[in-house]
Amino acid sequence: MTVTESLALILLLSGSAFYLAGTVGLLRFPDVYCRLHALAKADNTGLCLICAGLAILSRDWQVTALLALVWLVGLLASTVSAHLIARHAYMAGQNPISARKENECLD
Amino acid sequence: MLGLMLDAVVIISLVGLALQSLYAPSLFRSILHFVVFGLAMSLAWARLNTPDLALAEAAIGAGVTGALVLVAFRRLIAIQPDQDKPSTESRSRLALPIALGAGLLVAILGLATVNIETLPAAAGVAVLNNLSSTGLENPITAVLLSFRGIDTLLEITVLLAALLSAQAVTRPDALEKSIVTQNPDTPLIGGLLAIIIPLTVLVSIHLLKAGSESSGGAFQAGALLAAGGVILALTGRLSPSQQPSLRLNLGLLLGLLTFIVMGLLPLLNGQPLLALPEPWAIYLLESTMMISIALILLLLFTGSISLRHRRG
Amino acid sequence: MDSATLYVVAAAVLFGIGVDGLIVSRHLMRKLFALNIMSSAIFILLIATAAPIDDLPDPVPQALVLTGIVVAVSATAFGLALIVRLCQETGKTTLSVDDEPENDD
Repeated sequence: MTVTESLALILLLSGSAFYLAGTVGLLRFPDVYCRLHALAKADNTGLCLICAGLAILSRDWQVTALLALVWLVGLLASTVSAHLIARHAYMAGQNPISARKENECLD
Repeated sequence: MLGLMLDAVVIISLVGLALQSLYAPSLFRSILHFVVFGLAMSLAWARLNTPDLALAEAAIGAGVTGALVLVAFRRLIAIQPDQDKPSTESRSRLALPIALGAGLLVAILGLATVNIETLPAAAGVAVLNNLSSTGLENPITAVLLSFRGIDTLLEITVLLAALLSAQAVTRPDALEKSIVTQNPDTPLIGGLLAIIIPLTVLVSIHLLKAGSESSGGAFQAGALLAAGGVILALTGRLSPSQQPSLRLNLGLLLGLLTFIVMGLLPLLNGQPLLALPEPWAIYLLESTMMISIALILLLLFTGSISLRHRRG
Repeated sequence: MDSATLYVVAAAVLFGIGVDGLIVSRHLMRKLFALNIMSSAIFILLIATAAPIDDLPDPVPQALVLTGIVVAVSATAFGLALIVRLCQETGKTTLSVDDEPENDD
């Protein structure tokens, strides 16, 4: 395996590891806001690494530009979606978990 | 070996998602699993070496169908809020034998015809041999527009018929409430729209042009444009209205009318019906079809007669 | 077992699941999902059994399935409009036949 292929392999594997971490966070975190944190941050980092690995494998600047565009649009979409979901949850009355625990301590 | 393992992962996820979408106790969970099933189908098409179908399934099967189903769910919940609860289903005893019989029938048909040693299909060979005469390089677009144009003409007619039937059946009360999000006034939305909508138009025009060389085509481009319209409708920029609009109706009919005119034109030169001449005819046809398909899918989403532009 | 045979078996399993879901489900929207799953299974069957021509995939079944996907989404959209109207008129989302328990007399 050449150097570019092994570098791309490392990037793809670490991207998948970030996606795995994001999914585990989605399943295990206690609160909407924590889960959105896991999704928006870990998944986008995973996407960036996977796009970088594919761009290295393709050796073509047009494909690299397209992959950069894919990553940017994915970033934009997930950012605004996470913001909207968090805003909707807050307006529906769900407080973040640390605020809840503080209120319990005050009683 | 690796390819087989990847295929096995895709197939297991397809079967698991299908089971969840049919037998999950909560209707909302069923809907979500069905949307992800569409996306997994897109992966299956990619594994089967058909990129056009992967694009179409992702845009139409997962994207547009997901939006339509979620809007319908929102309208159903507004009428009867306790729909989400699990229903007690008394299972009919005939269901499992019928399902097993149907699955067995499909398996027998498939296993008998897969990988048999025979001559390649005559239609496909004829298409690939005559591809250069159409001026296109993508054989699927050539089949859709040049060789089997009648199928695509009827397909546009089916889309239009579905829209007209849905409009005839829909009762137009509380349409807008079911579409617009409840608190849409956040500054991030304006920024998102300013970037995403021009990008959507650009990518759909690119898909349209790319349909003649590599993967793409009018249907995928039209579905992408419809998705942009759905985003505009969800954020309140395009609101459903019941006033019929001449421009919108012309846009809906544009694809079908262009196709019919282009199909009848060769008769004047003594050529058979739907013998499209040069590539300019195909580009014109694909562009008008894209606009029509986008408008049809968008109106199916909003459920209204026309749309009204509102500066948000 | 090669890739095409695997997909044929998957198509058969999905079709069986779709038929079972169509008969057993009470909510009309789930019946619509079952119909869609059945169509998707048959599309997979069409593509998996298509033999490649000189290592290129056969374009005719792909065009057929593309048409099929668009027709399936049209039917789904119309079905959803019907379901919403039925719920608006009667307040139920199951067909009246499904509501009565089966009495064996």
